[in-house]
Amino acid sequence: MDRAIRQRLEERFGDVLAGPVRQRHDETEIRIGPGDVPDVLRALYDEPTFGFQLLADLAGVDTGDSMEVVYHLWGASSPDWLRVIAVGLDRDAPRVPSIVSLWPGAEWLEREAYDMFGIIFEGNRDLRRIFMPPDYKSFPLRKDFYLPDDAARSPGAGVRAMEATHAPRNAPPGAIRRVGGQAGPR
Amino acid sequence: MTTTDHRRASADDPRVMLDEQVGVFEPIPPYPPRTEREAEFYSVGDGELLINIGPHHPATHGVMRVVMKLNGETIVDLDPVLGYLHRGVEKLCENADFHQTIAYMDPLEYVSSLFCEWPAVMAYEKLLDVEVPRRAEYIRVLTGELNRVSSHLLAMGFHALDLGGLTPILYSFIERDEIVEMLAAITGQRMLFNYFRIGGVNGDLNHEFMSRLGDWMSRATEQVEANVGLLSENEIFVRRNRDIGVMDPETAIKMCWTGPNLRASGVPFDIRRAHPYSVYPELDFDIPTRKEGDSLARYLLRIDEVKQSLRIIDQCLHQMPDGPVLAKLPRLLRPRPGRAFAAVEGPRGEYAIYAVSDGTDQPFRFRIHDPSFLHLQSFGRLVPGKLIADWMTVNASLDPIMGGIDK
Repeated sequence: MDRAIRQRLEERFGDVLAGPVRQRHDETEIRIGPGDVPDVLRALYDEPTFGFQLLADLAGVDTGDSMEVVYHLWGASSPDWLRVIAVGLDRDAPRVPSIVSLWPGAEWLEREAYDMFGIIFEGNRDLRRIFMPPDYKSFPLRKDFYLPDDAARSPGAGVRAMEATHAPRNAPPGAIRRVGGQAGPR
Repeated sequence: MTTTDHRRASADDPRVMLDEQVGVFEPIPPYPPRTEREAEFYSVGDGELLINIGPHHPATHGVMRVVMKLNGETIVDLDPVLGYLHRGVEKLCENADFHQTIAYMDPLEYVSSLFCEWPAVMAYEKLLDVEVPRRAEYIRVLTGELNRVSSHLLAMGFHALDLGGLTPILYSFIERDEIVEMLAAITGQRMLFNYFRIGGVNGDLNHEFMSRLGDWMSRATEQVEANVGLLSENEIFVRRNRDIGVMDPETAIKMCWTGPNLRASGVPFDIRRAHPYSVYPELDFDIPTRKEGDSLARYLLRIDEVKQSLRIIDQCLHQMPDGPVLAKLPRLLRPRPGRAFAAVEGPRGEYAIYAVSDGTDQPFRFRIHDPSFLHLQSFGRLVPGKLIADWMTVNASLDPIMGGIDK
């Protein structure tokens, strides 16, 4: 746990942070609004006191109430992984500015987050499906993902209460199965 | 099959109704382009030609499809099309309990399975605040480095195979088979080991493993040197690789490269040293780098890494402490709500897992980060202007594994 980076982050980004800096094991976590993503990441990349030049990961997260985009960074200035979470994306129309201008390599990572969660990265010029077929309509890793075909009979379907409650209104009755092969609520 | 308004019976099971037509799409899209980049790529200029390589091409290291825009034999642009091996491992893991997810990790990068399991168990150990016994950490490093050697040997053999040299792969497989058999002696599996457990490893070292390892280590260095001599001194191989697919260090970092490919461009970034984990701080090894950043440098760097791995294996055997190999944990794990990120340095770069727990026995979010995915992305920067045969060279030297890319 790196106490020094916590202090520097609080001093530099105190006004844009949505919540306290959290630290656990070898990770430091800050939360920001989606609109602040390019500025904060640019500052973390450029400023010599930070120098987080390596984008270790970019992931979408669906919390059930809202969407998040999670960036993991590494820099020589700190022994910790820095986790930047863009919180509070609207679940019905999740949008966040792209960071392709900073890391061109983030293009496919953002495509993947779009493919799996439907998050629109504004400024990514190649935001199309990457794993799922181009005519696919759903976003599989969302918690309200409804398995419309044979996969609905898998033992994994509907295990989480959240997935069942968020099934589309026009879902045919009994289409969501529970473990053990029983049909869902009719 | 009857069709009612907008719903249609599944071809697999007529009792299941599908809402939308799930169709087969044309290789060259007839639909209007969805993005700026797609419109640019699929507008074919004068004298240009679109061809389709894969998904079942032997040089694509799995099931990858690349649409290539050619002018004569020169590559103008290319567009990799992924998803042919997509199994939805992240979704599967979010619907499996913490122990079960480790088995899903193995087939991701099937030639370096231990490096896919490793970040997963590390992330769970962070969520659960588990202390791993030191002997287990040494066994993880020992087996991991063996797996790295086998993966690099395979990469070197396939590199030659993609260029038309059939012999080196046979020699690579002699060494690889020996490693795989000794790992099978402790894990019970030849390829998909499922060996790491949350809080340690599945079993202690045994006599068969140790005797095979001792036997192999006594001749490993000479054997690797002999195999390397087949290629490194081959004029055709060297001339086909030199100055092909050159990547400069700044672009490599911006393209999120990691692992041997990044170090071959001259950036000494290795997670084992940059963000130490396990017992790597106690071990003495170098991080080889190369300046050139071309296909040949990436090949030569893997040889240097194999030599460092042999050094690490030697030290592990000398420093291995006695003790338990698995921490005591309940069968059913319910970590407190929290988030954990763990990354390890694999044979291709950074393998990372980001796990979010919501207090149940399943991960709430399970994110798999794979290095090959990001290396493959850079094809569009490495090969334009080169000949179509050079694409094979670059592909082989980047060493992508489609199982991990497509998840």
